[in-house]
Amino acid sequence: MRRKLFLVAALVVAAVAAMGAFAKSASDPGVTSRTVTLGGTFPLTGPASSYAPIPSGMAAYFSYANATRGPDHKRGAGGHQIIWKFYDDAYNPANTVQRTHQLVEQDHVFALVGGLGTEPQQAVRDYLNQQKVPQVFVSTGATTWGFDHAQYPYTFGWQPDYQAEGALYGRYIAKNDPNAKIGILYQHDDYGKDYVAGLYAGLGAKKDQVTISRSFEVTDASVLSQILDLKASGIDTFMIFATPSKTIATYATAAKVGWKPKNIYLNSVSGTQTFMAIAVKLAGAAEVDGTISAYYLKDPANPSWANDAGMQKYNAIMAKYLPTADPKNGLYLYGMAKAFDTVEALRNTGANLTRANFVHTLNNLNIKDNPFALPGVVTKTGKTKTGKIDAFPISQVHLIRFDGATQQWNPFGTTIDPRGK
Amino acid sequence: MTGRAVRGGTLLAALALAAFLPAGISHFHSFQFAFVGIYFIAIVGLNVVTGYSGQISLGHGAFMAIGAYTTAILSHDHGVSVYWTIPIAGIVAGLIGFAFGFPALRLSGVYLALATFGLAIAIVLIAKNYAFTGGGGGKSLTLPSSPISGLSTNVWLYYLVWGTALLMLLLAWLLLRGSLGRSFRMVRDAPIAAVSYGVSLARYKTIAFGIAAAYAGVAGALLAISIAYVNPDTFPISLSILLLTGAVLGGLGSLTGMVFGALFIEFVPLYAEKINNQAPTVIYGFILLAVLFAMPYGAAGLLHQLGGRVRQLRPKATKDPRSE
Repeated sequence: MRRKLFLVAALVVAAVAAMGAFAKSASDPGVTSRTVTLGGTFPLTGPASSYAPIPSGMAAYFSYANATRGPDHKRGAGGHQIIWKFYDDAYNPANTVQRTHQLVEQDHVFALVGGLGTEPQQAVRDYLNQQKVPQVFVSTGATTWGFDHAQYPYTFGWQPDYQAEGALYGRYIAKNDPNAKIGILYQHDDYGKDYVAGLYAGLGAKKDQVTISRSFEVTDASVLSQILDLKASGIDTFMIFATPSKTIATYATAAKVGWKPKNIYLNSVSGTQTFMAIAVKLAGAAEVDGTISAYYLKDPANPSWANDAGMQKYNAIMAKYLPTADPKNGLYLYGMAKAFDTVEALRNTGANLTRANFVHTLNNLNIKDNPFALPGVVTKTGKTKTGKIDAFPISQVHLIRFDGATQQWNPFGTTIDPRGK
Repeated sequence: MTGRAVRGGTLLAALALAAFLPAGISHFHSFQFAFVGIYFIAIVGLNVVTGYSGQISLGHGAFMAIGAYTTAILSHDHGVSVYWTIPIAGIVAGLIGFAFGFPALRLSGVYLALATFGLAIAIVLIAKNYAFTGGGGGKSLTLPSSPISGLSTNVWLYYLVWGTALLMLLLAWLLLRGSLGRSFRMVRDAPIAAVSYGVSLARYKTIAFGIAAAYAGVAGALLAISIAYVNPDTFPISLSILLLTGAVLGGLGSLTGMVFGALFIEFVPLYAEKINNQAPTVIYGFILLAVLFAMPYGAAGLLHQLGGRVRQLRPKATKDPRSE
């Protein structure tokens, strides 16, 4: 009898242990009941190291979230303390691949978040999708992230893509300035071509308004001949789709040849405060004044946000977790805004935090209250009318206009959604 | 026990260690050691041109790029099996290196170093601006996968790389132990004497460049296979400098010392970042300085010195390995 009881007890123990083992194997790497581990690669050294503030801004927000109770009264992301590991890839895909393998295979991260650079992130996209590890909110605006989501279901972009931004300018011009004589100067690569394709799509029936289009190679020493062609064509609306250094050169060259078109549109990547200040220095405030661009986040360098609750939150987090950093650098805010959406998505996934459930949440995002984004900008994905998933999380933007005197960008008008969400 | 037996034993032990290493480490570390092997092949080649024939090359990364792009283009655009592309990449890079050797003949010392540096810069621009390389967006390869069931991809890559490395090391040893190696050293140490003995400086310098480039080409092919992607950013100018650092630290003129150089290239930047992720380059620089102070003639020089001490304790002196 006693022996039998012992046997039964042993069986029960074994069964419970087996169930425990089963429950354990059901949870994905990087998640415990108390923690979730996230990772990312960024250029902390090398030619693109000016982007290094982004992961620090993310770290500051994750620390803040870990110490603060959310709307569910739990600290961290739904009760999971966030462990944030980021490594330097120096913008070299060979390093990105190695460091990403390290994060997945050695650090056992739950997901990769915010990885920076179109090419480095493309280099690990196949691997991460093969391993079924979410590659979330990559820090690049290439159109492929949203466009190829069906092929790479574990990969998600974040910011508005270049084509959408180009389309935005096109629609704005078609509506508000239908008789504009448009000239384009663009960088002759995928990046520049994405913008041009978007512009034509946005102009729609008005695309014949484009009277001249000139391109340059990244390696070209000067844009003088292109500027002279554009000036001679008599256009009044000038589209600049370039990277920062060539944008600055464009303003300086136009000023030198005494050309100031009535309207200038500039793609957002080149429009940060730092670059615009250099353009003002080289070309004069009058040349740069009135330039129109688009953005989706608040600008910490603009004093008009001083009384805004979101900006105050940003400054408080910066003061507490990154006291030696310059809070006016918008890249910290970019990182924080991205971390905010990450925490929301993790929290919304709920108690059963698995990679599959996280991806499901990411496919059905609707975050309306990001305190660091401009009013009206939402992070939204979901099924479209055609049944396909719209995987362009942020698509609303505000048009902004540059004031040469104060060297500030000021938003004007309402939010616009070039993807029509 | 003679010095030869000691060295033979050490070599066997090293081979056994290399063969069974993946069993003792994680799959991720096998992946890392595959990269050590890739750097090893590249700096064994660099050692031929810099260590044996005495010409400084700051453009070795360019030949890795040529090899990697050969593999990427052949496998991505023409469907060639990646394994076949390894020797082809070596031959293509070797021929280009041989051709580069001709103008290089007219230059020496720092002038040659600058010319090779120019090559490293040019290759990035060429890759960015021509369609056949895929431009800045680069080319993706199929993810590597182990053809042997039960063997993980990372471990397979390890054996693929180190198997190739062993073959390349053997080849280098066979090439350098004979008259070719002797001629290289003569070109390096006593060019005037070499000419008077009828050794053509031009011929041996170009041959050295060709061999070095072929090794870099093979390393580049393996790099492309391992990361399954190539673009111009994969081959920054700093790669060439890193390879030269590895060759110097390993000990110029020694083949086996290059293992140390390769380990340094792969792991020290990672540890520098671990120590201080704000200024990893500063830490890296300090480690580099410290290592150079500790062993000014590289790992091989240090081993040689230690070997000398041991020999002093023994009655019978063996001959200087550098004269072999």
